[in-house]
Amino acid sequence: MAPEFPSLEWMQALQTKINHDEHYAEVAKNWEGDVLIIVDPQGKVKEQQNFYFGLWHGKCTSVSMNVDLTTSKPGFILRAPFDNYNAILTGKLDPMAAMMTNKLHVKGSMAYMMRNVPTVLDFVRCAKEVTGENI
Amino acid sequence: MQPILKIDLTSGKSEPWQIPPDWQKQYLGGASLAARILYDSLTPELDPFSPESPLLYLTGPLTGTLGPSVGRFVVCGKSPLTRIWAESNCGGFWGPELRFAGYDGLWITGKSEKPVYLWLNEDKLEIRDATSLWGMETYDTRDAVRVELGNPGAKVLLIGPSGENGVLYAGMYCDHGRSAGRTGLGAVMGSKNLKAIAVRGVKKPPLVEPDRYAVARSRANRELKEDNQAEVLHELGTSGVADYSEYIGAMPIKYYHRGSFPEVDKISGSTMTDTILTGRSACHGCVIACGRVVQLNGNGRQKGPEYETLEIFGPNLLFSDLQKIVQLGDLCDRYGFDTISAGNTIGLAFHLFEKGIIAEKDTDGLTLNWGNGEVIEKLVHKIGKQEGVGVLLGNGSREFARHFGAESEAVQVNGLEVACHDPRGSSGMALTYATSPRGACHNQSDYFFVDWGHDQPELGIETFDRHGGKEKSANVAIHQNWRTVNNALVMCVLAVVPPETTLELVNAACGWELTLPELLSAGERGFNLKRAINNRLGLTSANDRLPKTLLEPVPDGNSAGFVPDFPAMLEAYYQARGWDPVSGKPSAERLDELGIPEIARDLWK
Repeated sequence: MAPEFPSLEWMQALQTKINHDEHYAEVAKNWEGDVLIIVDPQGKVKEQQNFYFGLWHGKCTSVSMNVDLTTSKPGFILRAPFDNYNAILTGKLDPMAAMMTNKLHVKGSMAYMMRNVPTVLDFVRCAKEVTGENI
Repeated sequence: MQPILKIDLTSGKSEPWQIPPDWQKQYLGGASLAARILYDSLTPELDPFSPESPLLYLTGPLTGTLGPSVGRFVVCGKSPLTRIWAESNCGGFWGPELRFAGYDGLWITGKSEKPVYLWLNEDKLEIRDATSLWGMETYDTRDAVRVELGNPGAKVLLIGPSGENGVLYAGMYCDHGRSAGRTGLGAVMGSKNLKAIAVRGVKKPPLVEPDRYAVARSRANRELKEDNQAEVLHELGTSGVADYSEYIGAMPIKYYHRGSFPEVDKISGSTMTDTILTGRSACHGCVIACGRVVQLNGNGRQKGPEYETLEIFGPNLLFSDLQKIVQLGDLCDRYGFDTISAGNTIGLAFHLFEKGIIAEKDTDGLTLNWGNGEVIEKLVHKIGKQEGVGVLLGNGSREFARHFGAESEAVQVNGLEVACHDPRGSSGMALTYATSPRGACHNQSDYFFVDWGHDQPELGIETFDRHGGKEKSANVAIHQNWRTVNNALVMCVLAVVPPETTLELVNAACGWELTLPELLSAGERGFNLKRAINNRLGLTSANDRLPKTLLEPVPDGNSAGFVPDFPAMLEAYYQARGWDPVSGKPSAERLDELGIPEIARDLWK
């Protein structure tokens, strides 16, 4: 059974998925930048949660949940309320559309982000495959 | 509204002209209002280069108010390139300054006996000798006018040498390289012996409810600063979309014959930012600042290219030298002609050369091999100087191809060269190009953004699959209507402003209480009015077409093998529009519903 989003189990499952996904390994082979996903309270999520992914050259080197936002220094921060992540992870909302319509806020180097859109999209694909319908 | 200043260059006389109040509410301002004002004078017989040919420079009700990306104006008339409706809008500071001088527009007809420029200082107009400026490139002209006037703060709109010597896609330029580039109205300005228009003013643009406006303006600019798209535009410029456009196969490559360009990273907005970018520039009051300032090889700072220039001289020509592309864009700006039409027409020449339709005897001995920057630069100079093959290239792609008996090879619609968003990557652009009132234009609807996911449910604009078909036809029409609102307000299409916010800005500025459907209806009215002008100029449903190249699949990339189902899309579009399928005219009933029965009577008499 797929782990529930958002949870520590979900994050760990995504790490495992990334580290065994050949397509992601190829697409993201040059990626250098940790990603912090912030889930703002909405629906079943009553308090803000965050998920820190260490991402380096096609692998997920570390994961941490609910890190100190004042001291962590990710390359990119993705931030949205729960419902928007729900829509993305269940395929109802395209991740590019989410970014363009500000349903998913992005902070970080836009130069790096736009140059590596395929990596970003493949990261989302992995997350969707891990999440399944269990959200 | 403030008056429009009518100027007859033949007699040298001028007089203020008040816009009928009901026209303002029906058309808002800008391009739509210009279409109504010029409706009677844009006849099939009108030679765009005749003294009678009008040039109407209009602002919008928000211009100069420090609202969200509203520091623009539009110039309208009859295009010498396309022979149909022409409009081209421009940022910078000239439009706001015109309003500060007390006028919402300039309506210029006639022809001066010798080169002149206009100096509108507050409400005082002078027609001054421009003999010494004739032949001068654009940036030098700007500086020379300011020096001669002793007014370094004067805002100067001008033409370059190509506007003087009749390049059919010559534009108008102001400030830091901002241009009204498309449709060739710079050549019309040149035909009137009008080199420049300098403006200075100190008045505040009129706002009926300034306190209400200030609240809406502040909120809109604050939201814009938080917008993801605005962040990309600020950091990377409009060419920030280059990587993604190439990735999905929506970037024209090798004159629209390929779908993949592995070297895209060498020329993308990201690379520009990481390598040669030294600053950013903004139009009046704009919080985005998408303009690029770059430095090449230790030389001085200069304007960097926006997406269209970078693409049309880059992947379109299989060329990936970013610094050279910067120089090519700069050359076009200095000669004063549109980069899209120039790069597209040069691409056509390369394509015809490869197919053996033209040869060295037709190109002044040049071998047109793809990706050769030196050859591209020589052709740009030839266009600017109107030398050799440059004369033909300066007539645009339709005429260039026609000259060699290969008209179907030109990637243009109704005489305007297709811009840099391939409908095989974003199918909505098929309808956008085919039905745009000024030819294949991406500013009458930048529908590729919708195809990429930018829906606007408040307006009924949904996102469909980027390779979708007729299900998106009505959606395209709504988006065109909304963009017609933008072009009437003369509000930059790059600014993501929620429609309700735009509505509040308009109502506060004008003292109205329009609803959102009424505002959108004003857009539809303007779009159909321009359509009616083109119908009167001879366009029919047969003109709503795509060039054959765009109806053939590209062999590679992430849109390989796809072509839009254009006939079905167009049929559904006509139904959504209420247009007659044979004549292509808006139906009399539809025009009546839009509140313009006088246009219906004229069109169907």
